[in-house]
Amino acid sequence: MAAEVAVATISAPHDYLPIIVQLIVVLAFVGGTILATHFLGPKRKSKAKLDPFECGIEIHGNARTPFSIKYFLVAILFVLFDVEIIFMYPWAVNFKENLSVGFEAGMNNFIQMSIFLGVVLLGFIYVIKKGVLKWD
Amino acid sequence: MLLYLFYILSAITVGCALLTIFSKNPVYSVLFVIATFFSIAGHFILLNAQFLAIVQVIVYAGAIMVLFLTVLMYLNLNKSVESSKPLLIKIAAMVSGGLLFLVLIASFKSGLSIAPTSVRGDAGLIKNLGNTLFTEYLFPFEATAVLFLSTMAGAITLTRKK
Amino acid sequence: MDITTAVQQVPLNNYIVLSIMLFSIGVMGMLLRRNAIIAFMSIELMLNAVNLLMVAFSAFKGDSSGQVFVFFIMVVAAAEVAIGLAILAMVHRNSGSVDINHLNKLKW
Repeated sequence: MAAEVAVATISAPHDYLPIIVQLIVVLAFVGGTILATHFLGPKRKSKAKLDPFECGIEIHGNARTPFSIKYFLVAILFVLFDVEIIFMYPWAVNFKENLSVGFEAGMNNFIQMSIFLGVVLLGFIYVIKKGVLKWD
Repeated sequence: MLLYLFYILSAITVGCALLTIFSKNPVYSVLFVIATFFSIAGHFILLNAQFLAIVQVIVYAGAIMVLFLTVLMYLNLNKSVESSKPLLIKIAAMVSGGLLFLVLIASFKSGLSIAPTSVRGDAGLIKNLGNTLFTEYLFPFEATAVLFLSTMAGAITLTRKK
Repeated sequence: MDITTAVQQVPLNNYIVLSIMLFSIGVMGMLLRRNAIIAFMSIELMLNAVNLLMVAFSAFKGDSSGQVFVFFIMVVAAAEVAIGLAILAMVHRNSGSVDINHLNKLKW
């Protein structure tokens, strides 16, 4: 099993070298652009220049006013469902393989995931019934 | 060559972790922690745990830290309002942290010496990971769903308006 | 260069020292700061130190179980952060501060 996996096309750490090169290029470009605009652009620091744009109306209040807790609750639910999704990637890879072995093995795998998703779906129904995602 | 890469990544990791706990502004702390998590994802790639590297970026840097930033904005803590501790307590905290480091290093130096066993480098590939997850660790996997359910109920109960 | 030699180029001891460093920095952050959110982030740092060590051992032994454990640690960390930050938001709403020195109502 191990031997036949080893000869298959699997990537080693040094195959990620292009990503490092791209990362360096991206960081250098962003940093270079910011530095260039800092040095090349004219600087005028009058009060009107530093104001946030508000259609000529006098600005009032702070941009950091406290917002509704519903946004925060949506962020929490996003994190939970995001973490739930990562279990499905290895499952999907295994499911395809198990299905090629036989119907029985594939069905087994399917039921395992169905139980998991069913329980998570219960949570989702609870969220909807509580009216968390209602916006009015 | 990979060894040099490891040293560079480690320098980034430790430096960003130190900046996290020493920067005054909480928003900078969050950004430095994100940089730390990205460099740990780089370490995972060096260890050939490719799927975990992606998950680290998606879950830790992408979701959990965004939640932290949301809370910082929600609580309006984007400026440092923290009262600082007395100098004596700060020095005590630094010394105890350093002592913990020394003790752990010393215990590792004298205690266990890990002999390099026969390495099978493909443990971190998504197929083998899934095989282990859905055979040996099937029950913890299903129990995780219950954890999600209770977390959702708990978060809603905590933040609901009275 | 195949995977095995690639993984083995960095000795395991280096990873152990690195994760001990990260863990100590996390402990230091817990002791040093009063802001509860930064204390939370220090906990995340410590969890990541453990994750790194677990992945290193798993990769060097060629056993996937360690990496599956890292999976579960990540899940528990996400749940913990969700509930913990909800509690902190409520604490801030009721007492107007997330300074851990103000959270001493349960002390006796």
